[in-house]
Amino acid sequence: MNEHESRPLPDQKISLKALTVWRIASGIEFLLFALAPFAYWWLSNTVEFLPFWIIYLLAVAWLLYGLLNVVLLPKWQWKRWRYRIYENEVELYYGVIVRRRVIIPMIRVQHVDTEQGPLLRKYSLSSVKISTAATTHEIPALEESKADEVRDHIARLAREADPDE
Amino acid sequence: MSEFKRQHPISIFVSFFSNLKQMIITLVVLFFFGSSQTRGPWYYLIVLGGLLVFSFLSGFLHWLTFRYRLEEQELHIRHGLIFRKKRFIHRDRVQSIDLNAKVIQRMFNLVEVRIETAGGGEEPEFRIIALNKNEANDIRKELLYGKKKVVKNEEDLSLNAESTDEDQEAFEDLEEVIEEENEKEPDYKWSLSTKRLLIAALTSSGIGVAATFVAAIFSQFQQFIPETWYETAVGFLIESSIAFILSFIIFVVIVAWMIRFVSTVLKYGNFTLEKTGNDIVISRGLLERRQLTLNKKRITAVRLVQNVLRQPFGYTSVYVESAGGGTKDEDLSTILIPLCKEKEVMDHLEAIAPEFSFERPMSKLPKKSMRRYVIRLTVPAILVASFLTYFIDYGYYSFIAILFALGLGYWQYKDAGIGVNDRFLWMRTRKFARTTVVVPKKRIQTIEVSSNPLQRLNDLTTLEVSILTSITGKTFALNHLSEQQSIKYFTWYSYEEPTDNKKRDDEED
Repeated sequence: MNEHESRPLPDQKISLKALTVWRIASGIEFLLFALAPFAYWWLSNTVEFLPFWIIYLLAVAWLLYGLLNVVLLPKWQWKRWRYRIYENEVELYYGVIVRRRVIIPMIRVQHVDTEQGPLLRKYSLSSVKISTAATTHEIPALEESKADEVRDHIARLAREADPDE
Repeated sequence: MSEFKRQHPISIFVSFFSNLKQMIITLVVLFFFGSSQTRGPWYYLIVLGGLLVFSFLSGFLHWLTFRYRLEEQELHIRHGLIFRKKRFIHRDRVQSIDLNAKVIQRMFNLVEVRIETAGGGEEPEFRIIALNKNEANDIRKELLYGKKKVVKNEEDLSLNAESTDEDQEAFEDLEEVIEEENEKEPDYKWSLSTKRLLIAALTSSGIGVAATFVAAIFSQFQQFIPETWYETAVGFLIESSIAFILSFIIFVVIVAWMIRFVSTVLKYGNFTLEKTGNDIVISRGLLERRQLTLNKKRITAVRLVQNVLRQPFGYTSVYVESAGGGTKDEDLSTILIPLCKEKEVMDHLEAIAPEFSFERPMSKLPKKSMRRYVIRLTVPAILVASFLTYFIDYGYYSFIAILFALGLGYWQYKDAGIGVNDRFLWMRTRKFARTTVVVPKKRIQTIEVSSNPLQRLNDLTTLEVSILTSITGKTFALNHLSEQQSIKYFTWYSYEEPTDNKKRDDEED
């Protein structure tokens, strides 16, 4: 398309291991939700008037949810996620259902952090959090060393940028 | 300037009444919504007495333990009964100082000082609830402008007039004195005329909120009105329930309107705006006086709001967003001008914040976005109307709402617009009221272009602009721009040089 020539999409992808991490996380969630059909099974045994067939409905919903949340969404999400760090700004592009494209100028960056939860740490990944005075943005999963590099890079550029423009 | 001082003893009553007010509100809520068990009158008397004593005691202890001392450029505060706290507020950390006076304070010529400090911490806001006016003004001056102590009388000056060095100093001091005097003569002054105040009150928005409130109260009241009254009064209306509902609605709207009228008059009565150098001082309120100081350099956006009642008469109100300052009841913004003619806005801005005064040509949204605006409002309206028609007698009247939805959707599309020059971006949107927001490029924190699946069907996007207001972020969004438009403003905001390809193209040209 025409307008994309004047402004190319960001070209850096996030770590492929993010896919695994996201799948594990939503897999755990998926297993927790398995409690819902079981709970209903127990309920229908104790309460007379609850029809049994609803349990099939719940099970199907649960499986579909799992398919979407564990298999498809992480893949789509990973495919979409892009970022790029320019000299004067950071650009992000992400989102499956709602697609977002954001510019964060270096002079507006107030602080940059890297964060890891237990899962990210296990896969030696880190997320980078960029805060401005008004908003916070996150690059969700980069290789630890890469994340540190990005963080320091943004921090340095943000420091150098002249806030009075 | 050296002794720790307590507040004016009236502060006891100020906090007494504000405590009491809160407790009574809680009680009323409990009374209305709680269980309707009847207890003896003694029970209520004891509860009430307990509350009175408790409120008074806490007010008294607050007065007793709260002490302050004004130093050079710094305010020291000690407070707390069990946990003693000390707090130093330095001039550099002060974001804004407001002077407020509720009715009690006004009776005794006192004010409440509200100091907002930067960097938040646990308490970004600090209040001294009762001080006499001079004292409060001293604090305000010291923390806003305070530099060195201002001299002296002329004799001092003449004594010092011997050596050149001291001469210099004396001269500077003189200048300071002059500056001080200048402070008292504002560069620009504006006040809301009585006629405008009344118009503002008549056309004030927020009737919806008031109406819900009134309706809630009246539905409660029905229990208390004796059955027989009720039946004679509205009996004939009940026959035709639609007339009853309509008259109830009209009644509620009128009462709500009156409430809004009175509250607007009280809020914006005696509104004056004075600008001195970079400081904009706004005073307002009939019973409860508020005075807020705003630094022109801290303004992050200007917003013109025209509600449906004001627009036909060409009236508008002007709000500003600023870093620091801002009140909760105005969505963290500050009202700059409660009501003026649309064509006067330019002149006011020219005088108050000249950088915001310029022509704002709007570029419109593409035709295809009209459909999205209309559909987004009409589909829910149709759903609700069908639901009502199915379940309620006369429910089909609600199909009128669909016409409203169609009209509003079209109107929203027609009014939507956006524009930029090299230093500013402006957007016009309508929910119900038409809002134009003007943001300097260097105040924009981030810009975001997003699209949901429905928008993508037509290559439409939403543009979101985030700025800082008060101490948090605020995002203004314009819906359904064409993708080309969005990317244009996206690149306008970009701090990067145009890409290499483009440069080469330019060179070839």
